[in-house]
Amino acid sequence: MPMTENIKINIKNLWFYYNDHPILEDISLEIPQNTITAVTGPSGQGKSTFLMTLNRLWESIEETRIKGHIEIRFGSDFQNIYDKRYNVSDLRRQVGMVFQVPNPLPMSIYNNIAFPLKLKGENNKTLGSFRVEDALKRSFLWDEVKDRLNEDARALSGGQQQRLCIARALVLNPQVLLLDEPTSSLDDKSGRVIEDLLLELKKDCTMILVSHYLDQVKRIADSGMVLSDRQMKQQW
Amino acid sequence: MDVKETIFKSVFFAASILSAGITLFILGFMIVLALPILKQGLFFDMLTGPWAPDHGLFGLGPMIIGTICIALMALVISFPVSLGCSFFIGILNPRGLGKWLKKIIESMTAVPTVIYGFVGIFFLVPLVRELFLKGSGMCILSAAIMLSILISPTMILFFVQSFSMVPQNDLNAVDALGGNTAQKFFYVVLPHSWKGMLTGIILSFGRAMGDTLIALMISGNSVAFPGSVLDSARTLTAHIALIIAADFDSIEFKTIFLSSIFLYIMTSFGIIMSRFSFKKRKTINET
Ligand SMILES: Nc1ncnc2c1ncn2[C@@H]1O[C@H](COP(=O)(O)OP(=O)(O)OP(=O)(O)O)[C@@H](O)[C@H]1O
Ligand SMILES: [Mg+2]
Repeated sequence: MPMTENIKINIKNLWFYYNDHPILEDISLEIPQNTITAVTGPSGQGKSTFLMTLNRLWESIEETRIKGHIEIRFGSDFQNIYDKRYNVSDLRRQVGMVFQVPNPLPMSIYNNIAFPLKLKGENNKTLGSFRVEDALKRSFLWDEVKDRLNEDARALSGGQQQRLCIARALVLNPQVLLLDEPTSSLDDKSGRVIEDLLLELKKDCTMILVSHYLDQVKRIADSGMVLSDRQMKQQW
Repeated sequence: MDVKETIFKSVFFAASILSAGITLFILGFMIVLALPILKQGLFFDMLTGPWAPDHGLFGLGPMIIGTICIALMALVISFPVSLGCSFFIGILNPRGLGKWLKKIIESMTAVPTVIYGFVGIFFLVPLVRELFLKGSGMCILSAAIMLSILISPTMILFFVQSFSMVPQNDLNAVDALGGNTAQKFFYVVLPHSWKGMLTGIILSFGRAMGDTLIALMISGNSVAFPGSVLDSARTLTAHIALIIAADFDSIEFKTIFLSSIFLYIMTSFGIIMSRFSFKKRKTINET
């Protein structure tokens, strides 16, 4: 049993509904910091939905409803992420997300990584380029793109695009990283690079990884959860 | 099965040839009828000169200025309203309200223009008269306001359509990175959709220029060059409707055809431009 000071995310009695139809039913879960928690399970059970409850991304979807309590420890105190006074942009800067299909924006490699800084209103060019470089290095992409930073990001290969998306999420130094089947659109080799990268990131981030590949999950996850029949069950 | 298909195909082919043929025929017809004027080398004089039939002056200058002023002003009024409305429907969409608003706006496209004309006469014209205490209220401003209401649905529906074509992946990217709605709009939605929006603007402008009844009913139809937006003005379309010449050979009557040619060219130009921007957008999406 982990001690409370090690807990990063605390989920209590979480229910989620599409059109009044429950997808998640009374889920309670504690996630320790600096770990990778894997969520597996059959298709259409609500794994992506579960991730979206942690950065409130579901809020732009029509006919959705949530019940329950989620708090994340930023610094020393737990923050109720659904608190009315808590700013959703602040939340999303600390809880990054990487999607199943890489989604680089139609702009250069450099601008993609610098984009979150721009959104945040950080305009210091020198500091910005330093942080872009750092994020690219942490996502194992720097050596491949350092000579072509001004090229369109969509010209990169699938694996490179996904690492770009990870770099883009990392540039804000998020404390939590949500990964929705990040390797499923990639070949084995590119997938392995991303796995190594995630293991490396464990020292800075708490990660929740949705994955279909059991072998992948066994390789890198600290604990494995299965989502089925609207319930989350610990597998190991 | 095959025979059926051939029949279908040839019927549709004939129908499209026919409708394309008719429009071209109309253009040819108007050019032939305006030929006497064109032959006299008066084309440009007539496009710019004043209208004073008693002095033998048959220039369409005031009508062209009137048409362009009213249509442009309608566009200027309609654009911010349409942008706000489509932003509400396509981007904010609180509690799924956008869907309903869109339905209402779709039904607005079916309102006959004469209704707008009547609302203009009995409500807007007196209001403008009272507000500015100048003239009769039948003026460029009144016509432009009413026309802006007429063209807004077209513009809004085009804008909403363009917004809906923005890839969800890109929207998710901005959302997940903590971007707010305005940032999402400027950094992702606009770059993806401005070409479609431009098409909507061009088509709305064409609609504003081509509409006859609203301007005829509430712009006052004066043939003088307008000096301000509170002056009465006559549009080309209203001019065509208003010319009553018994003598079909008179120059006065022939100016109708010149007006038509001008309108035809302006609107076709707009439509070709919008086609062009649509094509370009498609090729970008494909790459
Ligand atoms: N916008 C929506 N409206 C209504 N129902 C939805 C919506 N999005 C998802 N669902 C339903 O919610 C359920 C969970 O969807 P979700 O995408 O979270 O599943 P998943 O476990 O991630 O599946 P996959 O492994 O295929 O990605 C599905 O049954 C889906 O049909
Ligand atoms: Mg999913």
